[in-house]
Amino acid sequence: MSSSLDSKLPGLRLASTGSYPRIGDGPELQILRRATAALDRGERNMADLLDAENEMTRRAIADQMRAGLEMITDGQIRWYDPISHIASKLDNIKIAGLQRYFDTNFYFRQPVITDVPKRSDALVAKEFSFARNALGHLPTPKHLTGKLSIKPVLTGPYTLAKFSVSSHAGNGTVEAFSSLEARALAYADTLAAEIIALTQIGASLIQIDEPAIIKYPEDWKIFEKAVAKLIAARDEHAPEGRRPELALYTYFHDSAALYEKLIALDVDAIGLDFTYNPKLVELVASAGSPKPLGLGLIDGRNTKLEDVVEVARQIDRLLPKIHGGRAYLNASCGLEYLPRDRAYAKLELLAKIRAAVAA
Amino acid sequence: MSREKLERLGLNLPLFPTTSVGSFPKPDYLVRARADFTKGKIAPDQLNGLERKATAFWIETQEKLGVDVLVDGEMYRGDMVAYFAERLPGFTEGGLVRAYGNRYYHKPIVTGEVSWPGPVTVDWWRYAQSLTKKPVKGMLTGAYTIMDWSFNEHYPDRRATAMALAVVIRKEVEALIAAGCKIIQIDEPALSVRSEELPIALEAMENTTKNLDAYFITHACYGEFEQIYPGMLALAVDNFDLEMSNSDLDLLEIFRRHPFTKDISFGVVDVHSHRMESAEAVRRRVERALTILPEERIWIDPDCGLKTRTVEEAIDKLRLCVEAAKSFRA
Repeated sequence: MSSSLDSKLPGLRLASTGSYPRIGDGPELQILRRATAALDRGERNMADLLDAENEMTRRAIADQMRAGLEMITDGQIRWYDPISHIASKLDNIKIAGLQRYFDTNFYFRQPVITDVPKRSDALVAKEFSFARNALGHLPTPKHLTGKLSIKPVLTGPYTLAKFSVSSHAGNGTVEAFSSLEARALAYADTLAAEIIALTQIGASLIQIDEPAIIKYPEDWKIFEKAVAKLIAARDEHAPEGRRPELALYTYFHDSAALYEKLIALDVDAIGLDFTYNPKLVELVASAGSPKPLGLGLIDGRNTKLEDVVEVARQIDRLLPKIHGGRAYLNASCGLEYLPRDRAYAKLELLAKIRAAVAA
Repeated sequence: MSREKLERLGLNLPLFPTTSVGSFPKPDYLVRARADFTKGKIAPDQLNGLERKATAFWIETQEKLGVDVLVDGEMYRGDMVAYFAERLPGFTEGGLVRAYGNRYYHKPIVTGEVSWPGPVTVDWWRYAQSLTKKPVKGMLTGAYTIMDWSFNEHYPDRRATAMALAVVIRKEVEALIAAGCKIIQIDEPALSVRSEELPIALEAMENTTKNLDAYFITHACYGEFEQIYPGMLALAVDNFDLEMSNSDLDLLEIFRRHPFTKDISFGVVDVHSHRMESAEAVRRRVERALTILPEERIWIDPDCGLKTRTVEEAIDKLRLCVEAAKSFRA
């Protein structure tokens, strides 16, 4: 990737959508799996597991940099799954059995709310700090100097609520949390606090994942109320001059029906999965967007590599219709659904596509 | 009425026929042998001998328990999709991907045109059937599920992939029938994952079983069946083998709203729990089934494959099924 190509497309940044495989085929890429299994057998301790998580996080960051991404994540290497990773850190939530995660072959552990969820410790802020530190210790490729940034990712309040249930706590609170709205708003309060914490330690862009809303559009009002709490946290509690951007990402379903509503939200960017509806490119190009979009044109769930020219053509169609020509070119979803070699190939593909657009 | 079909096929089964979903736990010696084989420490023949020994153990066990329709227990299989993908031309083994937590698997990739290499499961079926006079089910994975659980780099879309696989699975069905197999189970656990794709799953199964003379069962589990019911009843099989007990028989409620029109293999024991149900609890589940389903349509079995249980637990769970069935025949 040459800097002259970058300068032709200053608004199109290469980004991660979130997760990255935590395992590969070689033994050096299986350290986390082995450490976890050894911990389960009582042969290792938590410090060993943390070492393995740290090492795989560094490798995920290094892969993203090597492929030329500018907006990267920690690869969510420490996440058991997108639901319980957040919920398990909150007070008054138990983690129960496995449930299928959307239409994937991946399973998450279901949270059970027993009383008002409380945030008594960081959810992802410490992980974000580690990743930013790790990034600082890796040599930055010349063409990325001054362009690299790292974003924390949070699963949004509506999606957390949709995949949670409530249980009797014996004090009457169960009735309150049997409603989806109550769960979503309770999660939103905890996530708002996390957004403030992330802002205070310098996060400039925070990604909020809300895949469930495009599958269940009938819950829009609840979703909107919950997201409003995050927007308020961004606006009202940010230290002077440190207002972060909120990027709301959707995936795993067709977003066409909600597109107009999504871009009208008072967030700073919207991420879209283009793999569920071949007509979405045309719809977005026709409607335009008043804010930056995350262009999920690369399928994060299939190993097949997309045709560079074809995707470049789609971007040519979309970019002029996005306000300021600002967009993130990223995979349709996190890449942990792919084998590691294919996930890396998808990252490299992003750079090839941008080069084709700029050419 | 599928009982007439069974009789026409020469299968005179009692009321509440008992069966199991497919997999049984592998005995310790086989678990060790499979690991040794992976490391190159033992030869294929040695592994095969132990797989046959374990298969014979499970056939004998099912006979002793009084199960009516037997399975070979899948001693020679690991994953139900990977087993076929490893043998069908057109597939490449993919790298590791995560299923949950610290569990990973090699997800297959369709990299070329899929084709049938000749019989894949027939020798195992023939061997298992040679050990018993009771019918042994042929055990296959359905085209839709193989498609859904694989990456696709060759076909233009998911439907095209499923239809190509249906051609292949149909040939395996034909080979099983030619060998004398009369009851064939074609598992579709992915059936309810994308409700909008139910027409693809229906078409794939139609292409797999149409005009073939056998009694067909499909097994599905872990699904949002309320999303695909009653449309799923159009699947071209005679019997749905469903996980009922793990969800506290919730499906009965949707059957109440719209009649269930096929035979059903009704899961009466939870395979995901070490806990052994009481005989009375299992009987109550059958009684609840009888409030909605006609008795001549009900088969009795565990919720799902028993391979995650210990050998002893699997036997005890099967025994519960058999005893419950017998008590309702009396």
